[in-house]
Amino acid sequence: MRNLLSTIVKIGAIAAGLALLAGSPSNAKIVIDQAGRRVEIPDRPQRVVSLAPSITEIVFALGQEQLLKGVTSYSDFPPEASGLPRVGSYVRLDLERIIELRPDLCIAIKDGNPKATVDRLQALGVPVYALDPRSVPAVIQAVLEMGTVLNAEDRAERLVRDMRSRIQRVTARLVGTGHRPRVFFQIGDAPIVSVGTKTFAHELIGLAGGDNVAAGKTAYPRFNREQVLALSPDVIVISSMDRAGSIEQARQEWGRWPSVPAVRDGRIHLVDSDIFDRPSPRLVEGLEQLAGFIHPEIFGGLK
Amino acid sequence: MTASSTPLIKRLLLAAASLSVLLAAVLVLALSSGSGGEGILRSLSVVLGQGEPDSALETIVWRIRLPRALLAALAGGALSLGGLVFQALLRNPLAEPYILGISGGSAIGAIIGILLGLSHFPGVSVCAFIGSLATLVLIVAMSSGQSVLKKDALLLSGVMVNAFCASVIMFLVSMTQDARLHNIIFWLMGDLSSADGRTVAILAAILAPCFGIVFLFSHAMNLLLMGNEMARSMGLHLRSVTVALLVVTSLMVSAIVSYSGLIGFVGLVIPHLLRFVWGPDHRVLVPACILGGGAYLTACDILARSLPDQGEMPAGVITALIGAPLFIFLLKKTRR
Amino acid sequence: MKTAIETNHLSHAFGGRPVLDRVSLTIAAGDFFVIIGPNGSGKTTLMKLMCGILNTGPGRIAIFGKDIRSYSHRSLARTIAYVPQALEVSFPFTVQEAVLLGRTPHQNVLGIPRAADLDAARRAMATTGVEHLADRKLDQLSGGERQRASIARALCQGPDILLLDEPTASLDLSHQLRLMDLMETLKQEKTVTVVMVSHDVNLAAMYADRLLLLSNGKIAELGSPANVLTPRNLEAAYGCRLMVDESPFGGVPRVTLVPGKFQL
Repeated sequence: MRNLLSTIVKIGAIAAGLALLAGSPSNAKIVIDQAGRRVEIPDRPQRVVSLAPSITEIVFALGQEQLLKGVTSYSDFPPEASGLPRVGSYVRLDLERIIELRPDLCIAIKDGNPKATVDRLQALGVPVYALDPRSVPAVIQAVLEMGTVLNAEDRAERLVRDMRSRIQRVTARLVGTGHRPRVFFQIGDAPIVSVGTKTFAHELIGLAGGDNVAAGKTAYPRFNREQVLALSPDVIVISSMDRAGSIEQARQEWGRWPSVPAVRDGRIHLVDSDIFDRPSPRLVEGLEQLAGFIHPEIFGGLK
Repeated sequence: MTASSTPLIKRLLLAAASLSVLLAAVLVLALSSGSGGEGILRSLSVVLGQGEPDSALETIVWRIRLPRALLAALAGGALSLGGLVFQALLRNPLAEPYILGISGGSAIGAIIGILLGLSHFPGVSVCAFIGSLATLVLIVAMSSGQSVLKKDALLLSGVMVNAFCASVIMFLVSMTQDARLHNIIFWLMGDLSSADGRTVAILAAILAPCFGIVFLFSHAMNLLLMGNEMARSMGLHLRSVTVALLVVTSLMVSAIVSYSGLIGFVGLVIPHLLRFVWGPDHRVLVPACILGGGAYLTACDILARSLPDQGEMPAGVITALIGAPLFIFLLKKTRR
Repeated sequence: MKTAIETNHLSHAFGGRPVLDRVSLTIAAGDFFVIIGPNGSGKTTLMKLMCGILNTGPGRIAIFGKDIRSYSHRSLARTIAYVPQALEVSFPFTVQEAVLLGRTPHQNVLGIPRAADLDAARRAMATTGVEHLADRKLDQLSGGERQRASIARALCQGPDILLLDEPTASLDLSHQLRLMDLMETLKQEKTVTVVMVSHDVNLAAMYADRLLLLSNGKIAELGSPANVLTPRNLEAAYGCRLMVDESPFGGVPRVTLVPGKFQL
């Protein structure tokens, strides 16, 4: 009787083991992505689709662009990305185009890509790894995780080290500076829109030794001209997402208000919005630019 | 049109048959067109079961395009039927399915759902559904001082509530500053992209009995056209028929709106178009609206997906662009 | 003799305003019964109560001896048919389709017409003289033709009682005559009880078996035309000067209005 029982138990254990093995094919692994989801992704993904321009940038920065089979419509950095097939836009993904590319992995941004579409991709059998890069440390973490997922850990570590040292270079030289110039970061002209606390620009302004006058709960607060005048910013940084002549126009518009310290001192700067709102390694470049605008006495050389 | 001289059964069968064929053809076309796939012919071969077992194209056709085409067909049928019923109940040729506050209430519900960060299904859909029923109850309550049978009372209350909701919606939209605004606008203009097999099955299960019940009332709707008093004098249970039609149709339209947002000009134009061809007998018009409305919206959705180079337009834009001139043309033809 | 309609202390009010006040009358089967009276006297209300369109409040109505409320909607529709003054035509049916609607109380829920229904419709259209218009749309007809189509529809209900609300109001003279003669024929040949509201007192006098003069919701006078159409009754009800003599057709009163310039 005991022999029979132990035989049954052994057979049961072997069967369970086989089932487990059969359940997860040896070339896939279960991971927890940056958004906290459990996903099963291939060990060595060969056909990757990026669902956000920032993700495209990171893939190229990790030197894994040969895995990339499709990107979203504003993936324009680096320039080589413009030649890749488009799969719709970040907020409106084209399911058919994605499926057509037969991806074995998609990389998404939590609270950026529509959750419904991500769920549908999973339902159709396409694994989706979600990143959640909501702050500079989180972006660094995202780079590391993508290094693991795309089998480029070494490149990822080097990239992260580089990013950290450049950030260090800025923050270290700011130690001991007493004052924080008041900064107004403008991202729209009609209406005037600035950046609240929960944005990258705010974080970068802080790291660059400035004081974001628009800090607050609202992520993209609206201002009328009077309110900005009342805030009396020392530096105005203008960035526009539509990259048209409106940036120049906005700068000229400010010229009419010489009572504003930033206008009086000629401290109005124009920037490329992508390096301030994309959760990619180029945020560091944004930091360096801001440091130069906010503390030219320290960072005059950095341009 | 000599449609009227053809016996009823013959007309019904002719309408049902021809519109079924049209619907089937449009569905095949819908399965064969889209942004993926190498052209219509290859997709067509997949639909017909021939061609290589190309797994990507198979997935695209059967798991992306089919649910969407079915959703368009169901929505088009339900909206057209809704317009037909309200045009009969209110005896007003300008009546359309959203006229009793359904558009206003569901939009507010949906926007609240989107702002709360809920997922489209079930979160936003349920909010939209609750919103539309809330405004319906409000309207019936507002107009029940007078009899609910007084069609003008219902109509006026509906128009007022919709107008009020529109201003609330504009307020909510102006306060929204983030990416969710994009979702709201797409919802307001009609969005069929959320379809998948399970949700379409649920919707079909809700709509099929509604279609059946409305068909049973089709002769009653004929009587209603002669006026409340006439209908009553010919033996109709006016109150129960009116309430039943009101409830079933509102449920039907609310269910659609909660899935697909506000697609306009289907419920207004299709009943008139079909009436122009097949005559005003509702026993023919009810099946005709279900089939013809479905074919129309599916066709519009094909255009919405195919016209732009990149991405797609909201279905409601196409139905408006086609529907408005069509409606004007029909008005001219039917007025002498 | 059977009683077609009997009312007992029938009263009705619209939003607190009394319109009918304790009207009690009987209409015999086969009668040609005409209701006259000034505007607002409650004629149309009385008629709508009699065919069940309005719900009765205080008072009782019996149709062929049975309380009107004990009839099912369908059986009432097979007994009494109502012809309104004007036909609403927002989505026009053809004459044939509209007439067939009258068969509803005899049909199932979808109302698919059977041979018996098509037959009844053809006969009704023949009786009212609109069969040549069967395929025309209602909004393409003249007022008189539409009226006759409406009556054909009512006849399809196979009723024993026909209620008509001011059927001659918008008709020209020849059509008025045709219609009244038609009612007379129906009464004689089909023993239909005809109850009519009329503005035209003289026309009423020439055809009616009995007249009801309503004033302020109450019965001013009820009886034969000769009894009802007296100067005293009419002047009290209509509030104007009138003259009553005998019509050239003998035995029927003729009412003439007295223009102001002829008054003493």
